[in-house]
Parts: sequence; structure tokens; C-alpha cells
Amino acid sequence: MVDDAPARVVVTGVGAVTPLGPTFPESWDALIAGRAADAPVPREIFDTTGCRAERACSATLPELSGLTRKALSRLSRASRLALPAAREALTHAGLLDKKGRCVRADLAISVSTTAGGMAFGENFCRDVIAGKRAHLYSQVERYLPQQQVLDLQQDFGVSGPSVVMANACASGANAVGHAADLIAIGETDCVLAGGFEALCELVFVGFDCLQATTTEKCRPFDLKRSGLMIGEAGAFLVLESRAAAEARGATILAELTGYGHSTDFFHLTQPQPTGSVLVEVMRAALRDAKLEPAQIGYLNAHGTATPVNDGAEALAYQTLFGNALGETRISSTKAAIGHTLGAAGAIEALFAIAALRTGDLPPQLNLQDPIPEMAGALVQVGEKRDGLRHVMSVNLGFGGSNAALVFSA
Amino acid sequence: MKVDLAIAGQGAVTPAGVGVDSLFTGTPKPQMTAPLGEPRCEFPVLRVDLKDPAFARWQNEPRLRRVSPMTFFMVEAAAQALAGLSAGERAQTGLIVALSAGCLLYSRRFYEAVIRNGRRAASPALFPETVFNSPGSHVASVLGLNGAVYALCGDESAWMGALKTAAVWLRRGRVKQVIVMGVEEFDPLVLDAYRSARWLRRRGFLTSEGAATLLVRAARPDDPLTITEVHEGPPYRSPAEAHFSAAELFAGVDERVPCHRSARHTWAEVLEREATAGRPEFSAAPPPYLGLAFTASAAWETIRAARTLAVPQGVVPIWGLNHRFGRIGLRRS
Repeated sequence: MVDDAPARVVVTGVGAVTPLGPTFPESWDALIAGRAADAPVPREIFDTTGCRAERACSATLPELSGLTRKALSRLSRASRLALPAAREALTHAGLLDKKGRCVRADLAISVSTTAGGMAFGENFCRDVIAGKRAHLYSQVERYLPQQQVLDLQQDFGVSGPSVVMANACASGANAVGHAADLIAIGETDCVLAGGFEALCELVFVGFDCLQATTTEKCRPFDLKRSGLMIGEAGAFLVLESRAAAEARGATILAELTGYGHSTDFFHLTQPQPTGSVLVEVMRAALRDAKLEPAQIGYLNAHGTATPVNDGAEALAYQTLFGNALGETRISSTKAAIGHTLGAAGAIEALFAIAALRTGDLPPQLNLQDPIPEMAGALVQVGEKRDGLRHVMSVNLGFGGSNAALVFSA
Repeated sequence: MKVDLAIAGQGAVTPAGVGVDSLFTGTPKPQMTAPLGEPRCEFPVLRVDLKDPAFARWQNEPRLRRVSPMTFFMVEAAAQALAGLSAGERAQTGLIVALSAGCLLYSRRFYEAVIRNGRRAASPALFPETVFNSPGSHVASVLGLNGAVYALCGDESAWMGALKTAAVWLRRGRVKQVIVMGVEEFDPLVLDAYRSARWLRRRGFLTSEGAATLLVRAARPDDPLTITEVHEGPPYRSPAEAHFSAAELFAGVDERVPCHRSARHTWAEVLEREATAGRPEFSAAPPPYLGLAFTASAAWETIRAARTLAVPQGVVPIWGLNHRFGRIGLRRS
């Protein structure tokens, strides 16, 4: 029962809070300037005593106007990242009225996270173990991911359908791809799609105990890469059907032309060493977009800087692009903002769209000795590319989640 | 959302046993269990018996050697629903898992070790299993489901999101059929959470665990049982908003269409009673109470309704206890 003529899906608004800045334009400018945001984890977030790694990419939480101190205290750090990012995206799309309410009360939401408001869950667990009985309910009530969705729905006055993807580090791309699917089949014509992730102890310690985190610089696609840097962010896109966007005179930033996703069963935490599943996923996204690999001008790679991930990913790009690998410019922006887990797919899609629109390419930072097969493809600081028509963003995650998005001018 | 999903297979793991029939056999004897933070007081809990012989076939699967109980619930329930499908058909099958707390048992063990013994005591064996989508990945791998795998989080309403996502995949032609699953596992920390919410004070309330699965595909005219609608009501945060959402739940549904009541012993029971007043029920006697297991409960009730629907149409309300309510429309032909 394949729909013969799926609706075309366009991007009409973007917004982000990242370790590089409180808005997407500020984050983008810092990224293109070659800044990286890694620093010791602030003690007010959590203590890293006992961990191998001590650094992460934390964001400065933007002010949230119009909220009382009590209301602010009830928001999880995840919501403090998601709300301003979503507000920026909806404002950019021209979908908020003067009171900050969304003009589309039926707005659908497709979001991703891996930990939701986990800091509340951590506090709950600590208090239970310590025998404390006060304020337990307020913590457990607010840690589940649907509560961050509810924060968004309340703030913007919307009540449409919502879905929370939790496909580990590919979730953000899945949330965006799912939103596009909803529009393509005509279920809705407007979706707020994105992801959020706040630094939390459980996840940081988890990656640390796997020795997946680096104790020095995050160096994607480098022979001396030693692991990932955890980050945090909120990032959102407004997706609309092209018909709906044109009808209301919205500025179209890009068209989402391709989405591919699949699952790699090689290992729970490691990709198939040749990257074959990723190749299959990228090909599916390209088929969706009716494009050949060589037509992709820039690719935002997953590039966590773990030895296993980047090796498999490099082989996947070599297989997909063949001799054209150097023509497609590639970088992993995780060197600058860290691995933002559930937000990664969304923020990296935003970076790819910005590259498409400006021709500025996010540089591959912290590169000393690149993986040979990738050496000619990695973006240098200050590199520009005129006439970009198509870009891709790729994500992989625990459980074997793989996803690829294609955006076109 | 109007959907047209044929129910092609069903599976269930409940505290009353393994298999869909266990949804109708009776309420099993609860086990008295203490919350993590209150070792001196105990509450009744309905647990799945992992010693049931049905689970033995999964014990030697290499991929399942470190998994928590919920993965065993899932693989068994999915295998029931997939019975009769060839390897080729399974390869074109996707999996969507709806869950609330996820891999709670290992998450609590992992973090408790960090709290009690320091961060150096964190277990690299446990952490990957705490990730929401890990159980789904295991199940798809073991059962040869080569379509995509999604994990969706939320309260009971995540079950509706999973059904809708299955409909989207089928309409986009991404897979031929989809295993849609609701699952929860018990950990004593759940009792601390329910206690803080005062849910354990409700007469008759029982904490539970388990899984249930539907195999769905695009409906054909001769399919006997189909899901025709998945409707998400407005979200709520306050009691007033919950009342409004409940009152809106059956808007537009003919009052003669019967309803399967499912909110027993939860705080939403009174809302259900008000919202369904005057509406016929599926059956005169309610099925046995199996306790609260969030998305698994929503899936259990959907299967119970599908099995007992004797008239052309019926509605299953889904009472999400932490975000939103909704309804699922069924049709029998």
C-alpha cells in the first residue's frame, strides 16, 4: 500500500541550544570559526570523581522569560535545553503569535532523547537509597521523557499527537525522519521535530566505564582517536509540507528529500566492522531522494571518535562514494560540541542544512593524523563550497540503530 | 489517525502465564515485595514466572546471555505473534517497542552500584543493557526481523504511538508487516515511585509486569479483525485537564459502539466510568485483573478487546497515567 505521490517535506524553521551558543546562529558561527566547547564538567551538574574522563561539552542554559522561580525549578535540565531551542525554531518558522503561543494548536511533535530528565531520576534513586521521603513524587513524576514533551506542549499551547523516539544516538535523525514520514503520507502538514539531551551522571559514568570517552581531545577520523566527548543540546526543526509552507508564504530553508533507517545486529554497542549496514541505510536515503552518491556535496558524519565507530564509518563512506569520496566533503561536528546522544541527529541535521544554505562547511577539528581513506575528504577550517545542492547527515547508535537524512536546496 | 491495520498475530506474557490465553485465566497470586527504600514494609506485586518452560528455549541464545527479564518477555511474546511466518517474511518485518520505564532493573542496579560504591564500581556489562532500545535490538536479532527497530517512550499512550508508527511504515512501504509491542519489567524501585504517588493506597491496585504483541500488516477486505483508528486525546498535567481530556475521549464516537473498560484500580477509573457512562461494554464480566504494567497493560487490553469483540465495531480507551489518554478503534467483519 505504497502512497504513489507522497507530499514533499520542507524545513521552515530551525533552533538550537548547544555548547557553542544559546541560539543556532551563534552556534553555527562558532562552529565555522573552529571553536570547540569541551571543558571540565561543571560541578553543579555532577561530580566526575572516580571517572577516567572529566571533560564534556556543556551548554549555558538560556534565560527563560515569563517563568516563575518555582516553575523553573520544576523544569528538568533537558527541558531547559529543549524549550528555548523549540521556541527559536517555531519563531524562525513564523508559527508563534505575540504571546508566544503556537498558531497551530494541532502541532504534532516528534522528539528524541536517550535519558529524558534523568537527573530527576538520579535524585529520586539517591533519596530512596538514603531513606529520604520528602519530594520524591515531584522527582519521579518529571524524569520520564514524555514530561519534557508536555513542557513543550504547555509552553506553546499545542495538543497535537506526539512521539518520543529512544533509538539511542540515532534517535534525533529518526525523529526528524519520522516527522517527514507523517507529512509525506498526509497525516499532518506541520511537525516540530528534534531532540534534546542534558548531561547526567548515569550516562556519563556509563560511557566512561565502557572506556568509550576520551581523556584528551575528541578526534573524529584521526588515527590517534581515543574516544568520544559527551555533550548536551536541544535542537529542533519545523517541517511542513511544501504546499502548506508555500500557501502561508513561509521561507523554505531546505527540502528533506531522503530518509533511510535500519538496524545493525552485529553487536549491541559496535557497528558491523565494514560498515555494510550504514551503506545500506545511506543508499536507502539516496533512493528516497532519487540521487546518486556523488551528488552529495557535504556529509555530516556520526564520527564519535571511538576506534570502532570511526573505522567502520570510514569504510562505509569508501564503499558508498568510491572514487568520489574526496568530492563529497565530510566532517564530524562532535569534535566541537561533543556527542549529544539523543540530540545529535537533530543538531547535525541543522548543521548540514546551514552548510547547504551558506556554502560554509563545518571543519573537522582536532585532526592530527587522519585515517588514510578519509584524509582527502575531511573538511578544513575555512573551507567553502559554492553551489551545494544536496547534503546528508548520518547517525549510528547503540542497539545498531542507523539513520541517514538527505536535504536538498 | 485513521489506520487500516490487520491483526495478523498476537502474543502475550503475563503474571498469569505465557500466551494470549493467560489474559483470561485469572488473577495470579501476588508476591509480597518491599520497596527499595522501605525494606520493612511489603506490597503485593504480580510477577512473571521466568521459570515457565516457555522461556527455556531462549536461555541459550548467545545474544540474550546478559539481558534483563523484559527482553525475555519480549522475545517470547513476539515469537508467539510471529508463529507461521517464514524467515523471508520475518526479514521484511519491523519492530516497534513501546515502553515507559525501560530497562529499569539494570538501570537501578547500575546506578545503585555507583551511589553505594563510587563511580569506579560502574559496570560496563550493565550499562549497554540500560539503553531504551537495547531489548528491541536483541529481539529483532534473535527472531530475524530485518526491518527497522524503533523504541518509543511514554506512558500507556506510547502504545498508541507505536501502532500509529506501524501504520506510517506500512503506508510508506518501509516494511511488509510490523511487530508492535508493549513491555514493562518490575523492580522494587517502582514501588518507591508508586508509593510516592500514593497509588499503593488504592484498594485493589497491583503492580505488575509483562509484555504483549500484535503483528500488524496493511488490511485486506477479507481480514476478520482490524484496527481502524488510533486517536490521541489532548495532553494533560492537572486534574482539571485530565477531566477535560477524558470527557473529550469519545467525542464523535456513536454511543452505541461498545467500549472495553480498562482503567481498573487506577486513578483514571473514575474518569473512565464518567466517560463511558451509558455506553455498552464488550462483555458482561470484566476479564481478570492483571495489575498495572503501563504499555504492557495497554497492549493486554487491546488484545483482550480484540478477542472478545463480537459486534462489528468497538473502542478501547487507553488511559495514559502520565501524559495523555486516547482510544483505539476495532472492527470485526
